[in-house]
Amino acid sequence: MTQHLNYELNKGYNYMSAKGEIKFPYYVGIHSLMGIATREDRVCVLNILGGESRTVTPTSHVYSGGNVVCGTMPGRGGEVMKTAIGDIPVYHSVLEALEAGHRFNVAVVYVPPSGVRDSVIEAVRVNPELKKVVILTEKVSVSHARMIRQYCQQRGVDVFGANCLGVADAHQHVRIGGALGGNAPEESLVPGSIAIYSNSGNFTTTIATYLLTAGWGTTVSLSSGKDVYIHFAAPEFTYAFHNDYRTQAAVMYIEPGGYYEIDLSFNKPVVACVVGRWKAKLTRACGHAGAIAGSGDDAAAKERWFMEKLGVNDIYTPEKPVFSAAGAVVTNIAHIPMALTDVMAKQGIKPDFPPRGSLELKPWFGNNQDLNLPPELDLPIVRALAPYDQQIEVLARQLGTVFPRQNMKDCSGASRMDAQTQVSKIHGLSILDASTKTFEENLVLTLIREYPDATGTALANVILNAFVNQSGTIGLAAADAARAAGNSPNTVLSAAVAMVGPKAVQDARVAVRALVDLFGNTKLNSPNQRDFDFGPQIEQASNDPVLRAAFIPQNRDDRRVHGMLQAMEARGVGSLFVDFVKAFAERNGSHPTDMTILAAVACHLAWGPLLHKRLPLATLSNMPWHFVVFSTLVGSTVPQSRQPDPHTFSGVGVHELMNSWSFSETAFLALFGHRPSESELYSFSVLLGLIITNGPGTISAQGAKGAVSADGPEMQDRIQVNKGYIGFMTHTGYAHGGNGYEAIAFLLDCFRKSGLTDPADPNHGLNLDAIALEQAKAYGSYKKKAKAEGNLNYGKIPCVNHPIFKGKDINFDPREVFVADLFKRRGEYNIFHDFYHRLVQALFKVGVSKNIYCVNVDAVIAILLLKMLWKPFIDGQIDDATLESAAFTTFLFGRMMGTAAEIDDHANRGRNMDTRTAASQCSFAG
Amino acid sequence: MQITGMSWGAKLLKYVGFPTAKILGPEATKEEIQAVIDEYGGVLVKPIFKGGIGKKGKAGLIGKATDVATAMREKERLYFAEHRVGNTVAKAEGVTFESFIACKHEVYFSLTDNTQFRAPTMTITHHGGMDIEELGRDQIAAVPFDPLTGFKGFIVNNALNKLNAPAEIISPLVQNLPKLWDLFHHYGMTTLELNPIRMMEDGKGRLTPIACDFKASFDGDDPNVERLGLSKDLFHQDLSPFEREVNQLRTYQGQSDVFVMNSLGTITAMTFGGGANALVTELLGDRATISSDFGGNPPYSKMLEISRITYRHWLKQTNVLFLIGGKANNTDIYETFRAMADALREFFSAHGPQPLFVVVGRGGPNLVRGLGYLRDTLDALGLPYRMFGYDSAMSEVVNFAQAVDDWMAKGGRQQIARKLGITSN
Repeated sequence: MTQHLNYELNKGYNYMSAKGEIKFPYYVGIHSLMGIATREDRVCVLNILGGESRTVTPTSHVYSGGNVVCGTMPGRGGEVMKTAIGDIPVYHSVLEALEAGHRFNVAVVYVPPSGVRDSVIEAVRVNPELKKVVILTEKVSVSHARMIRQYCQQRGVDVFGANCLGVADAHQHVRIGGALGGNAPEESLVPGSIAIYSNSGNFTTTIATYLLTAGWGTTVSLSSGKDVYIHFAAPEFTYAFHNDYRTQAAVMYIEPGGYYEIDLSFNKPVVACVVGRWKAKLTRACGHAGAIAGSGDDAAAKERWFMEKLGVNDIYTPEKPVFSAAGAVVTNIAHIPMALTDVMAKQGIKPDFPPRGSLELKPWFGNNQDLNLPPELDLPIVRALAPYDQQIEVLARQLGTVFPRQNMKDCSGASRMDAQTQVSKIHGLSILDASTKTFEENLVLTLIREYPDATGTALANVILNAFVNQSGTIGLAAADAARAAGNSPNTVLSAAVAMVGPKAVQDARVAVRALVDLFGNTKLNSPNQRDFDFGPQIEQASNDPVLRAAFIPQNRDDRRVHGMLQAMEARGVGSLFVDFVKAFAERNGSHPTDMTILAAVACHLAWGPLLHKRLPLATLSNMPWHFVVFSTLVGSTVPQSRQPDPHTFSGVGVHELMNSWSFSETAFLALFGHRPSESELYSFSVLLGLIITNGPGTISAQGAKGAVSADGPEMQDRIQVNKGYIGFMTHTGYAHGGNGYEAIAFLLDCFRKSGLTDPADPNHGLNLDAIALEQAKAYGSYKKKAKAEGNLNYGKIPCVNHPIFKGKDINFDPREVFVADLFKRRGEYNIFHDFYHRLVQALFKVGVSKNIYCVNVDAVIAILLLKMLWKPFIDGQIDDATLESAAFTTFLFGRMMGTAAEIDDHANRGRNMDTRTAASQCSFAG
Repeated sequence: MQITGMSWGAKLLKYVGFPTAKILGPEATKEEIQAVIDEYGGVLVKPIFKGGIGKKGKAGLIGKATDVATAMREKERLYFAEHRVGNTVAKAEGVTFESFIACKHEVYFSLTDNTQFRAPTMTITHHGGMDIEELGRDQIAAVPFDPLTGFKGFIVNNALNKLNAPAEIISPLVQNLPKLWDLFHHYGMTTLELNPIRMMEDGKGRLTPIACDFKASFDGDDPNVERLGLSKDLFHQDLSPFEREVNQLRTYQGQSDVFVMNSLGTITAMTFGGGANALVTELLGDRATISSDFGGNPPYSKMLEISRITYRHWLKQTNVLFLIGGKANNTDIYETFRAMADALREFFSAHGPQPLFVVVGRGGPNLVRGLGYLRDTLDALGLPYRMFGYDSAMSEVVNFAQAVDDWMAKGGRQQIARKLGITSN
C-alpha cells in the first residue's frame, strides 16, 4: 500500500523531552559520523559471557584499545571475560556495575530476544550517562522494538540495530557492538574516505573488503540491521555523513522494505547498491526479517528513488557504466568499487591508496579428480592472500583435526539420542546398524569414527586378545579381592582398571607420537602400502636419540611380542607400521616390544581418519590406552583361578586367542566360559551393539564425562583415560546397568518350572498363551490389590510399554521391531521373545492395559541373554546370582564402547570442570 | 504470517469486543442462513483463503444472496475457488456467510508500524469502501502515536476532525477503535486493517462501527501470537515439506530461512547472510533449487541438521552444490563447514555417491580450517571442487557455479558418475 502522509496531523507527536539534532522530528543525538564510534566511548556489554559475545567482545576490546569497561550477566557476577589486554569484570546487573564505580555511555546488547526490551530499559533507566545502545540480537519482536524506540527517544539515546553488527570507525580504530571485520578487523577496516551504510551485516565487511581492491578505505562502517524498526537508519546516517569532513562519499547497501530512503537527499557522492528484485516473487520473508516489500517499497521502487536522487537513468554495470558526479546505482556489490571510482573521478577525487588485490576469480583450493574439465572451469590454484597463505601451509603440515573447545556439559560430539525415535547414534551411526557389527569393529569405531577394514579388524583382534590375560597382575588381584568382598561387577572391574594408569601405556603413547612425526608429512596414504620405502625414516630415527628411545624403550615387557607377530602372520595380515618397528629394532640389534606393536596397530587403524582430519592427534595418542583398558576390563571378569598363568585364559591358550579368535568370542568366553556358536556370537554382538550408548544424558556417560572434566581437558596430557572408565563404572549400579536382570528374573519366574529345555526350539511344546494369560491375570490381581491399599508405587512388569511408543491400539518399539526382524530373517527362534509378545496381548485381554503395550528394547537385551544362559542355568551350572552378574557385566561390555567415545570426545572438546552446575541453578531440599 | 477475511477476523475482534458483521462458517445450515437473511436482508458469500489474500471483490470472488438457494449456489461456486494475486495462487477452503450491513458511511482503518515516523501509526479515512491507493492525500490521515501510552481516542478524534469527517461517525469510532490497540500490540501484530468498517444505524439513529473485512499480519518473532491460539496450519498453507522441516529448526541463534525457488533446479546454494542470499538468488534465477540464508553463526548441531535436510531433499537432482557467503563477521566457518561436510559424508554413506561438483565462496573466522576440512571430505568422497576466498567477487563465483552447471548438463555429470562408479540419473 502506498503511504500518503499528512504531516500536519503529526503535531504533538514529537515533543520529546530529550533534545537532539533539530533537523529531525524525532530525537537523533549523532551529529557527525565521527561521533558514532569514538575512542572516548566506554562500553558495557549486556550478556557478555553469552556464546556470541564471548567470541566477539574480546576482539572488539583489543581492537579498540580497551573500550569495554564491564559486562553483565545475571548469575555470573564476579566472573571475568579474559582478553589479551586484561580481564573485563562481569556483574549481575547494570546497577551493580554502576555501583562498583564503572562509567559508560554505550550499552551493547547480546541478550536473547525476549529479554532485549527489558535489558535496554534497565540500562537506560539506571545510567543517566548512557547515550548509545547497540543491539546485536536477531528476532526481537516488533512490539518490543516499538517500546525500545519510544523509551530511548524520550531519554535521548541513539539506538543502533537491532539485528545489526554494530558500528566501526577505521580512523579511530574503534568498533562497537558486533563483529565488523570478523576476528581480524584490521584486514577490512582500513582508513580511507568512504562511509558504508548497509542493511546487511555481512556485506558491511564484504563491501569494505571489495573497496580495497579499487584503493578505497573507510571512515565509518555502519551495519544498520534490517528489522521493521531500523532505529538509526538511512536519514540519520546521511545527515551524519554530510557532517563528517573525513568522509568524501558513501556506499549504501539497501534491501527492499520500508520507506527509510524515500526522502533522502545528498550533498556528497553516493553509490547505492539496491538488491532484491527477485524478492518481488516471494510471498513471505526470506533472509532479513524486514526485507519483504509491499508494492511501493520493493527493490524496483528503491532503485527508482536512488536513480532520481543521483541523476542517473539506469543501473551501473561494467558493460554500461551509467553514473553522474552525484553517484550511481548498482545491483551487484562487485560493481561498487568500479562505480565509486568512476563517480569520484568525475569529482576529481583519486582513490585513497593503490588498489589492494583484485576481485578476479582466485581459487584457493581445487581438485579436478582427474576429470577433463574445460579450460574455463579448470582454474589453476592461486596462492591465497596473506595471512591465509601461511595458514594454508600450516594446515598442510597439520595432522588430524582440532575441535574448538566448548562447554560439554550434557553435550556430546560422539553420541546423541533422537528424542522421537529413541534410537541413539554413535558417531552418526544408529546403534541399530551398529548392532549388526562385531564387538571389535564397534570398539574401533568408537575411537576412529569409522569401521576398520578386514586387515584393521584382524589387527585389532590380535592386540585386544594379546592384552586380555591378567594373570598375576596387581589389577586382577585387586579385582578378585573386590569380588570376594561382595561388590557388584562394576566395582570389581573398576579396581582392575585403576591399575592401567598412564605409566602402564606410556611407551606406546610415545611410540605413536614418534611414528606420526616420522610418517606424518610423507606420501604414506595408507598403512596397507607395505611397499612404501621407509629407509629414510629408519635413518632418521636411528640418528635421533629421542626417536630411537621411543622404539626401543628401556622398560621392556616382551612376553607378548612374539605371539603378537606370529598371530598377525597366522591371520595373514600386516601393516607398514608394524613392518617399520620390526625393521627398526632389527637394524638396532633389538626387537620390538608389545608397546611398540600396540602403537603401530593404533597408527594403522587411525591413519586414514587422521590424514582426512576427521580425528584429533590426541585421539590416536590415547588409543593404546583405550585398547589396554578394553582388554583389562574384559580380562578381569575372569578370576585368577580361571587364568592361572599368562598363557591361558578361561581354559583357552592366549596364543590361540591371538591367532584365531575374535575379541567378541573372547568376551563371550570370559562371561560364559565357552566359545560361542555362530548363533550365540551373533546374538551376543547384537546385544552389545544395542547397549553402546543412550546419548550423553545417561548416568554412565555423565560419570565418564565428569571424570574427564575434573582432570581438565584443556591440559590434555593430564587426562587419565582409565579414570574416565572408572567414572563410567561408578555411575552404573543395580539401577543403571544392573536392571537388565529384572526382566530376566521375571522370565525365570515364568519359566523356571515349565520344563523348557531349549529356548531356540520353536517346537517347545509349551502353551505360551496360557502362561502369558496366567501371568497377566496374576499381575492384574496384584495391581488391583495394591491400588486398593493405596499403594501407587506397585511393581510393574519389566520391559513392556514405553513413555514414547504408546497410545495407539497396538504399540511397537521400533528398536525391538528392528531386532526381531534381524533374527526372523536369520530364521532364529527365541521362546522368550515370543512369550513377551503374547504377554502384552494377554495384558490387554484381561484388562490390565487399555491397549496393547509395546515390548520395549530392554526386553530384547534380557531375552537374548537368557536364551544364552538358559541351558547352564537349568543344568545347575550357574545360579541366580551368576545370572545377575552376567547381565550386569554384559551391560558394562556394551557401554564400554560408548564410554570410549565420550571420554575421547570430552577430552578433545571440553573445558576444565565444564560439567559442574552453577550454584544458582542448584537447590536446597532441606 | 497473514490472515484475511472475517472467518478468523471475527474471532480475533471478539477478543477486544469490536463489533463485526454476523458471520457463519461453511458448515452453516439453511435455517441459520435464512435467519441471517431474515434479520439483515441478505448475505455475502466469501471464499476462505489461508494467508494474506486480498482483492477478492475485484476478482469476482464475493457472492451476494438474498435467498438461501442463491447462497448455496454461491457456496458451491466459491468453496474451492482459486485466486491469483501477483505470483501467489491460493485455493479456497470453504466459505463464510456474512450478513449485509446497511450503512451510510464506510470507513477505512489500519494500524501499522510506519518506517518514516518509526512509530505505530493509525491510518484512517471516512472515504472507505474503495482502494486507499485511489484516494487523495488530503482524504487520508496517517498519525503516528506513542506506543508507551498506546492508541487513544483523542488520536482518532483529532484525525477525523481534520479530515472533516461527518460528525455522527466520530464518537462511535472514538469509542471503539482504541480497543484495537490491545489486539495489535499485545498479540504480535504488525498490521491490522479493517476495510470497510460499515457504520450501522440502530433504531434510534445511533451508529455502530461494524468490521466487515479483516486483514492482519503477524510478527513471526513475537511469541504473543501464540496466545491467540491460531492454528499453525493457517500460516503454513504454502510451505513445502522442505521449508516446513527447516522452519522447525528456527531459533534466535542462526538464521534458517529457506524458500523453494524451482523444484526442478540444478544448483543447490547454501547461502550465508541476507546480502549473499539476495545476490546469489538473483543471479542464479531458476537454476536454483532453493533460496536460503543460514547465516547468524549457527552452531554445529543446527548446521548439521539443516544440511541433512537440504541434502535429503535436493542433492539427487543437484549438479552443483554451492556453499556461498561473504566475509563472515561472526559465523565460524570451521563449525559450519564441518557440519556441511559431515552431513555430505553421511548422505553418501546412506544413499551412495552422487555426481556433484562443489563450488565454494567464503570468508570469515577460521576460514582456512573450514575450507580445509571440506577439502579433505571432498577428496575422500572423490568429488571435484573449486573453493574461493572472499577476495574473489561473489558475483564471479556465482557465474563460475553457473558455468559448472552448464558443463554438468552437457556430460560432466556423466563423467563424474563414471568416476564414482555409478550411473548418472
